[in-house]
Amino acid sequence: MTLAYVPGDSLAHRLDPRTKLLVQIGFAAAAYAHATPRGLAALTALAGGCLWAADGDIADLWAYRVAFPVLFLAPLVAGATLGSPWFRAARAAETALASYRVLLLLVVAAAYVRSTPVRDSRAALQRTVPGRAGTFLGAGVALVFRFLPLLRRDLLTAREAVRARGGDRLPVRERIRLVAVAGTNRAFGRADRLGTALAARCFAWNPTLPRLSFEPADYPALALGVGLLAVAAAAVI
Amino acid sequence: MSTRTESVDLVGDEAATNLARAALFAALVGAFAYVTFPNPVSPVSVTLQVLGVFLAGVYLGPAWGPAALLLYLAAGALGAPVFEGGSAGVGALLGESAGYLWSYPLAAGVVGAVVHRGTALRDPSAAGLGTLVAAMVLGTVVIYALGVAGLALVLSLGPVEAVAVGAVAFLPAEALKIAAAVGIVRSDAITAA
Repeated sequence: MTLAYVPGDSLAHRLDPRTKLLVQIGFAAAAYAHATPRGLAALTALAGGCLWAADGDIADLWAYRVAFPVLFLAPLVAGATLGSPWFRAARAAETALASYRVLLLLVVAAAYVRSTPVRDSRAALQRTVPGRAGTFLGAGVALVFRFLPLLRRDLLTAREAVRARGGDRLPVRERIRLVAVAGTNRAFGRADRLGTALAARCFAWNPTLPRLSFEPADYPALALGVGLLAVAAAAVI
Repeated sequence: MSTRTESVDLVGDEAATNLARAALFAALVGAFAYVTFPNPVSPVSVTLQVLGVFLAGVYLGPAWGPAALLLYLAAGALGAPVFEGGSAGVGALLGESAGYLWSYPLAAGVVGAVVHRGTALRDPSAAGLGTLVAAMVLGTVVIYALGVAGLALVLSLGPVEAVAVGAVAFLPAEALKIAAAVGIVRSDAITAA
């Protein structure tokens, strides 16, 4: 299961994407500035609130399962020492708090991904980053979303073709080469057709974007984001 | 009824194709995250994202290669399931994998600059074996230096501990990817480059 946008009518779905991005940045700043048990307890409640506001649940975190071994292993490695006393609990506890902080960041990110459609994310990016850089990022991100499933299928097809011809007996290096060549050639083929099609359809630096506007519900959320940044700044100064 | 007129600022043909290539390469690096191979020397299986970073530097060059990887990071941050294991979100760019992910554009730039010796693109299959291997070894060094530094910073680990968690199990597989990438570039198998 991968994490993806789920249509809905929750509080987080109604917020402007720029508000949600600000809250995430504020949350990360606060989490890095206050990695204490008390600070993280407060942020746990907030992260849970974010996920709840996006109609998400704990199962959404399964998408981050590959991060779990590192987050779990890091405190053990940090605590272990060669020689007596073999395990320093204080060092392990410090890294455990840091690991837990990363988990909270992932929870808040999951809430954003669940509640924000691609079109809105693209518009937020393009309205925040000015000029041609913004257009490049916005159009590029939209194309990545569009072509990712196609390229995944291309690679899967290539793997099956290699396997069907007895490729399982080849060395791993050779199998990687065959799959990567097929994937890269397909990507270049698609890119060149797409480039021609974009030029033929008057692809412009100033396209029409979906309308974004801050609603009344955005203001408390914006205040929350600014407040989190202020809390982080207070700890640093 | 009011009407509004705006002039359209067209993107040139070459820039449109370059943008399409950068976006497709970003999607390819994302798709590579789903392809796993068994690792003959380590229990951790191999994914091909880093191979995608090498190929972006080699085939798109030192300018558009990093641009493609920036698109990859932006798309992942905004919810495209392109990071390891199909994860997404701003959290990945600020969490334990932050160092690795942020190093990708830089590594693609380094690989591109070494292979193309400057900003003008040349045929990568004409580059010597030594140049290709040196470029990718340098790229790997950039990725792991920043990755391990990020790990140490984010999880408050010491340098040796960070290397134990973040590099020892993964480094042997990088040799495989470098060998595969050199094979790809020197075999002339990529037709559209």
